[in-house]
Formats: sequence, C-alpha cells, structure tokens
Amino acid sequence: MHVRPSTHPTSQAKEAAFSPYEDHGGTNLAIAGPDYCLLASDTRQSNGYNINTRFAPKTFKLSNKSVLATAGCQPDCAMVTTRVKQSMLTYKHNHNKEMSTSAIAQMLSIMLYQRRFFPYYDFNILGGLDEDGKGCVYSYDAVGSYERVPCSAFGSASALIQPFLDNQVRNKNQLGKPKVTEFEPVTPLPLAEALRICKDSFTSATERDIYTGDYLQIFIITREGVEEQIHELKKD
Amino acid sequence: MLSEIVAQYTSEPTGYGAELTPGNFLARDAAKQFDSLSFDLPNAENPIDFLNTYTDVKSDNDNLIKLAHGTTTLAFKYAGGVVVAVDSRATQGSVIASQSVKKVIEINPYLLGTMAGGAADCFFWERELGRRCRLYELRNKERISVAAASKLLANMVYSYKGMGLSMGTMVSGWDKTGPNLFYVDNDGTRLKGNLFSVGSGATFAYGVLDTGYDHEMNKADAIDLGKRSIYHATHRDAYSGGYVRIYHINKEGWEFISLTDVDELHWQYADESRNRGA
Amino acid sequence: MDARIDLNNIGFDFDLTKRNAGLEANGATAPKATKTGTTIVGLLFKDGLVLGADTRATEGPIVADKNCEKIHYIAPNMYCCGAGTAADTEFTTNMISSQMELHRMSTGRESRVVTAMTLLKQYLFRHQGHISAALVLGGFDVTGPHLYTIYPHGSTDKLPYVTMGSGSLAAMSIFESRWRSDMERQEAIDLVKDAIEAGIFNDLGSGSNVDVCVIEKGKVDYLRNYARPNERAQKEQSYKFPRGTTAVLKTSIRDLVQVTEDTAMDIST
Repeated sequence: MHVRPSTHPTSQAKEAAFSPYEDHGGTNLAIAGPDYCLLASDTRQSNGYNINTRFAPKTFKLSNKSVLATAGCQPDCAMVTTRVKQSMLTYKHNHNKEMSTSAIAQMLSIMLYQRRFFPYYDFNILGGLDEDGKGCVYSYDAVGSYERVPCSAFGSASALIQPFLDNQVRNKNQLGKPKVTEFEPVTPLPLAEALRICKDSFTSATERDIYTGDYLQIFIITREGVEEQIHELKKD
Repeated sequence: MLSEIVAQYTSEPTGYGAELTPGNFLARDAAKQFDSLSFDLPNAENPIDFLNTYTDVKSDNDNLIKLAHGTTTLAFKYAGGVVVAVDSRATQGSVIASQSVKKVIEINPYLLGTMAGGAADCFFWERELGRRCRLYELRNKERISVAAASKLLANMVYSYKGMGLSMGTMVSGWDKTGPNLFYVDNDGTRLKGNLFSVGSGATFAYGVLDTGYDHEMNKADAIDLGKRSIYHATHRDAYSGGYVRIYHINKEGWEFISLTDVDELHWQYADESRNRGA
Repeated sequence: MDARIDLNNIGFDFDLTKRNAGLEANGATAPKATKTGTTIVGLLFKDGLVLGADTRATEGPIVADKNCEKIHYIAPNMYCCGAGTAADTEFTTNMISSQMELHRMSTGRESRVVTAMTLLKQYLFRHQGHISAALVLGGFDVTGPHLYTIYPHGSTDKLPYVTMGSGSLAAMSIFESRWRSDMERQEAIDLVKDAIEAGIFNDLGSGSNVDVCVIEKGKVDYLRNYARPNERAQKEQSYKFPRGTTAVLKTSIRDLVQVTEDTAMDIST
C-alpha cells in the first residue's frame, strides 16, 4: 500500500480543497455485430463552458482486433490507455502472441479495481472481435465492474443515446421486430445500418448536449483490421 | 558485443517482486502483477474521507463517480437442498446501467455466491474467493467447506472494513455436512441461516418468501417460490428488475434452472390471479 | 394613524432566501431554472445602435430551446437583451416595458433610455442580486442613441460597445479588435454577427442562431435569425414506426352519444 505518512504537526490539519477529478465531457458509443464491431466518439474536450480543444481523440486502437474508448477525466483516461498498451506489449513479448479482446477485458477490470480506493474517473468501452471473429463490446464502471453487451453508450450524452440504441439496436418496445434478448452478445444489424444509427445518434446528441460536438471519430473493426473514419459534427 | 545485448534480453525468468530493470522488464509476466493484492490509495490526509467525497457509497447521493450497484437476491434451504434466486438489474444513481447482470457467481461446481451492493466489489472479491478455494483444494486434496469458504470471504473484506467496500452476499453450497448457507457483508458480518434476502428489494422478497416458505416443499414449488419472491421485489423496488435467475443446489452440486424476463412473469401471474378470481 | 416606523420591518424581507439556503445545506435541492448561458452584445454606430444575441437556452448540460428570443421589447424605440435565468430576464423586461408604456400614456412623450435603465437598476438593486438578470439595454430617444449594461446587483455602465453573458469574453475579443466609432450600418451589423458567432462557437452556453436588432432614429429593424450558422445535419435514415409497433394490452370502446329509437321530436310549435 502506498500511503503517505502524516507530516502535519497537529491533528487539526486541514486538507486543501483540491479536487483531482475534472469532467471533460464527450460521448462514446459501441455496437457489436455478427462479424464487426463499431466504436464511435466525438472529439470535443471541454471544461465548464469552455472548449479546451475541438479535436482530442479519446478512442484508441490497441491491436488489429481491439479498440478502447474512454470518457471522463482526460488524464485518467490517458493513464488507463497507456497502462493497457504497456501490459499488452509485455504480454506479447512474453507469450509471442497478441492479447485476445476477452483477455484485455479481464485485465482492464483488474487494473481499474486496483484503484478501488482512488478510482480513475474514466468510463471505458472496450470493443473488438472475439476468438470466433464475432464483434464484442465490454462496458465498464469506474472501478472495474464489466459486462459483455451488444451495444453501449457512455459519457455526457449517454442518457440521450442509450434509450435510442435500446429501441433501434435491441428492438426494445417494438412489436413485430425480432426480439434481441438482454443476453445476446451481438446485434443482428448489418454494418451499414449500424453506421447510420451511429451517425444519427451523434448528430442528435450534438443538438441537445452542449458537451458533445466538433468531430465524430468512428472505428470499424472487421476481420480485415481496423478502419478509422472522421466526420464533421456541429461546432456550437 | 552482440552477446552482451542478447544477454541483456534473455535473463532468467524472474518471479514476483523482482527488481524492475530494463534487463528483466521483458521477462516480467503481466499476470504476476496480480499475485498478491495491493491497492493504490489517494495521497490524501484521510484516504477514506477522500473516497467518500468522490464516489457514491450509498446509491442516493449525487457524487461524481457513480458505481454500478446490484439489488434483490435471495437464497433459502429446504428439504431438497438450496434455492438461489436473483434479479439482473444494475443501477448507477438513478440510471439503469444494465438489465443483464449475472448476480450469481459460480465459485466452483459446489459453491455459489450472490452479489448485492457494489458490482465491482462483489465480482472482484468473489473471484478472489474462487481462486483461494481452488488453492485450498490443491493443498488439502479435498473440497473446501461452505463454512470455511464464507469465512475466507468475511476475513478478506473485514481487513478493508470502513474503507467503503459495499458487498452483501450469500455463500451457499453442498459439502460433507450437507446444504449450507451463509450471509457475508462488507462489515465482516457472517451469519449461518436457512433463509436470507439481501438488497434494496429484500423486504419485498421476504414478504412473499416467509408467507410461502415450507421446509418440506418439493423442488418445483421451491423454485417457483424463489421466482415469485424476486418478481414481486422487482415489481415494487425501482432498483430491481430485468430477469429472474434461479439456481438449485443438491448433493451433486449446483444446477442452473432458469432465466425469465420479469415482464413475462408479470403477465403470467396476472393471468393466474384473473383465473382464480373467475 | 400610528406615524412611528418599526425600523426592523422596513425594506425587503430575505427570510425565505436564508431558509432556502438552509434547506439546501441540509440536502434539499431547489428546482432547476432554465438559464440562458448566453452571448449578448450591443454597439453604437454612426446612425444608431445594434443589439445582438444568440438563441440557445440551457438547463444544465442540456439544450432546452434551440431557437429562443433573447432580445426583448421595452418600448417602440428601445430593446433589451437578457442573460441569466430565462424567467427573470423575461419578467423583468416585461414589467419595465409596461411601466414605460404607462409612463408614455401619462406624459404623452416618447420614452427615454435613461428612464428604463433607472427603473431596471433600482428594481434589481432592491432584490440584492437574487433576480438573476444581466441586461444590455439599447434605444434611441430625443437625446440620441444610448447603450447600457445592467448587472444583476444593479450596477450599470454606459459604453459604446458592450457584451454580456457566458460568451461575453469571446464576443468582446471581436469588438476590441474591430470596433471603430462611426461605423456604417452594414459594417456594424456584420461586426455584431461576428461577435455573437464567436460566442456561439467558443462558449458552450451559447449556440444556434444570431438575432440582431438595429435601432436608428425613428426606425427599428428586428432581424430575427439574421444568421443561421448551425443547421441540423440531414438524418441518415427514417425512424418512422410501422402501425402495430406498440403493444395493445386492452381495447375499450365507449359510446359518446346514446342513440334511442323514437319518433322525431316535433319542433314546429
């Protein structure tokens, strides 16, 4: 345990009002399909009413089969990404093979739980292809509770996008559409439709969430590898 | 010259605790980092106050980091063994984070744990419990008793008492002494009993469970009672919902019984009461 | 009549303010008001003045109205931009507007900008900043064009170019670099538009469109949505639900009129 011994002379010592956490806004979305996985995030980084930068990617390619999307406090997100990449490299040198997406998923969970008492302010979505080549999406809370889901939205506009995905991707409350149960690991949607839903999610979220906007970065993971697209979003 | 470089990158595999130098970095096994538990703490005068300021230990305050919480779980012993029934909803504050959480953790073929409270806490510590139970089995050449397993868990979380862990769990299984059921929580409380329900919907579940409970009932009735209790809890408790997941334990170990949408149960029970009324 | 004045009971009573602060300290939450985290500006030019505003209204991080009106009517020769709590700016300007109308009726003269400014500042000062209205007031009266800013606590400034709201710094950067005295009308409108757009794009509290109001001697031009730099992108597909998407749990049909078999009533007599 790494605890700093108290150097204060009195027991009444007050802690300075410093917060190590800041919310930098932004939204992520992921959809897993039968043979693809799609991760998308906007690139606005903001602080209060200010825009720090219009292009701060927070989704990173980890390997040809996996991509990590992060949202929350940028330094924490960067730290988590760096540590995942480091461990993946060490794993590769030790075992002479790339880490599978499910192995990265479990490792990330433990990494986050390591900071149970000083959590990373970071909400992750890990997307990629599983051992069978199917799309997979793992969504996390800040301290490592995770689950494999067919689709997920995280970040400042998650409350706007998640219900839309539940309705359009998982066919919730739609009689006459094929039922997608909670436990389905992937959605039956074809890639082209998933992409359309993804873009509409972001243009709509940009309309109503002040922290979402500027550019949309989309990663499409298929057997061929990872394709990256950039689209414009509104900048107001 | 070349041999020097080769030597630098082909050192003997080093175990846990070895000094991290550029020479042995590549030989380090990522998995070894997790050999013994250690947690990073905030560099603050009082790390616990710090944690309580920034995370929601209780799910009703409006703090920055919302953690996923689990909710209604129950387990009871009866003549035929043990029934374990849980819902599947996870909430972060007032948001439903998931409707498909697996709140029964299969520790080994004879042991089950349930999760209520912090999802990550339950998941992590019961996974750790599984590892320790397996080590016990390898060392002693026999399965761990439910009493011992639950005590391992209670002792583990007791050492972190007051640090904000949130976990209410039931450890159940079959060992030499027959069916066993223990309640363990983050305070270190460990209780042996015949019937428990844990989580925000527990009071609702208890109402149905206590009314319908009979030690001598048959397996089908016991399973139905578990299902009804969870359903009624999901109906009245906003933090519970999704699916009812049922497990049954007898001397052969645990057996997964069913996974049912509560919406389906709602209409099924509505039809039943309508037919009874007619 | 008792002529004595109880000194403890004069002026405004802020007891409820203290009570609410106490309740909030104990964990109660007050209902959220719609804020116009806003960019509003005004400037003087050769023949009059130009007011400008964005059109976004927010409730916390959510955009409540994408095209609201922040330039309020005060008098035929006078308009006022409002930033702060939407209800406060709306009701304050409305109230002053009716006072000005009554004043015109009783004096038979055109309203003066100082009059409105004085009424506003006195009203806001009386309420000690609890009415969250930050205003840019502009008008053209017998003494010429006037431009004022009025702060929630009641202080005022009279300046040739002003900005207010959360986007005021972004807008002021445009004015400070490009404002000159005696600008032409179109030049002035363009500068106001650029200042508001600076707020729209660089301040998250401001967004959507640019409203402009040009006030000259005996003439007002309210240019609603003078610029629309943020049109919504075309949707990729239609989300129309086919008939039968919603589950029907039960159907009940009621007769709203009762039809009875009878001979028609004779109404000839």
